[in-house]
Amino acid sequence: MAKLDVEITVNSKKYNLKVGSQERLLDTIRKELKLTGTKEGCSVGECGACTVIVDDKAVNSCMILTAQVDGSEIITVEGLESKKGLSPLQKAFVEKQAIQCGFCTPGMLMSALALLKNNPRPNKEKIKTALEGNLCRCTGYQQIIEAVETAAKEWGV
Amino acid sequence: MVEYQLLRATSLVEALEILAEKDNVECLAGGTDLLVDLHKQDSKFDQIDYVLDISSLKELKGINLGDKKAVIGSLTTHADLIESEEIQQKLPFIAEAAKSIGSTQIRNRATIGGNLVNAAACADSFSPLIALEAEVVLASRNGERKLSVRDFVKAPYKTALKKDELLKEIVFELPQGKYYSSYQKIGRRKALSISRISLTLLGEVKVDKVFKIQVVSGAATPSPVPFAEVNSYLLNKKLADIDPVEAGRLAAEEMVEITGERWSTPYKRPALAKLVERAVDDFLKEAANSG
Repeated sequence: MAKLDVEITVNSKKYNLKVGSQERLLDTIRKELKLTGTKEGCSVGECGACTVIVDDKAVNSCMILTAQVDGSEIITVEGLESKKGLSPLQKAFVEKQAIQCGFCTPGMLMSALALLKNNPRPNKEKIKTALEGNLCRCTGYQQIIEAVETAAKEWGV
Repeated sequence: MVEYQLLRATSLVEALEILAEKDNVECLAGGTDLLVDLHKQDSKFDQIDYVLDISSLKELKGINLGDKKAVIGSLTTHADLIESEEIQQKLPFIAEAAKSIGSTQIRNRATIGGNLVNAAACADSFSPLIALEAEVVLASRNGERKLSVRDFVKAPYKTALKKDELLKEIVFELPQGKYYSSYQKIGRRKALSISRISLTLLGEVKVDKVFKIQVVSGAATPSPVPFAEVNSYLLNKKLADIDPVEAGRLAAEEMVEITGERWSTPYKRPALAKLVERAVDDFLKEAANSG
């Protein structure tokens, strides 16, 4: 099977790749780019652990072929931290104890980031809708929602 | 073993050319159904040789609600429908149906055309479109044909789409006059739930009577159909004479006539009755509020 040429920008870095027909964005991110922050959970779009941002929208990277996002800008959880340290959103997750086992956290962060980029002052309902595709089996969600609320308040800082 | 070569179409013409020239091609739009099945190696796809990615075709995107004629491109995502101010204002039940689908991540990718072509019995896009008496435009290299959405779906997961055809867009006449709508759905949980029962009510009122009415099932029956008994009960009736409970009872009876008694009937009968009752209530309240 012929490989396909794909150019994608991941966390502001450009990659020219040759990908297989069946290669999912999740596979490319984890196996090719070795960005293993993005997790594979259910592989069927139910859990949101593989959530990344493609062209400003939160998507499940298990349900997209890499060849479909040719030319796109992608953000993964690794894109949050900078030389200055953790992003305000990450800090809020730590502060509010929105992390227990941590498996869902990268996906939660990406869903929250996509929301805040689009709507810097979301109400609680908007936060819940943004996170409804992300399952957490530890925290009970309350702390996660509080973390996003806190980040929203400090986003401008 | 499911193995395929991915082809990427850059224009509708090219996509139709590929569909006409090659055999065993499956079209890929949002991918939220197809890619799951392909990844799971669903034997249903053992025979495919190609997957044709149409997800970047601009010709198939966009919402255009004119004064009378409306066009929704097949690659319009559920998120696009929810965010469209025109849809929110003129056809709120379409936005409601779109909101009830999947999760944010899924709505950002999944398309209305994909929902129709996949044609699951629980697909949420059918009942609003059937209530609008919408048609699908099916394009092939040889031209286009139109088919009502109702005739497009043959059975669960079966449509009238031919192998060289692509669902290009959905067209319908915008309802005129004073019309009111309601979309109702029950799932096992809010997000990501598969509809157990859903329905759309779309009705037009003239003076104090129901001038036009469409109550259409989703998920309650193997294929989405208008509830004929409910519609004939409501049609031409004075708003003051309408009993929402009676409408619910008629719908539930009609559903059981279509599906027969099943293990789920003791649940679905009262659940559907209540949903129809709520939809009719909504309709009457909205009509009363707007005078």
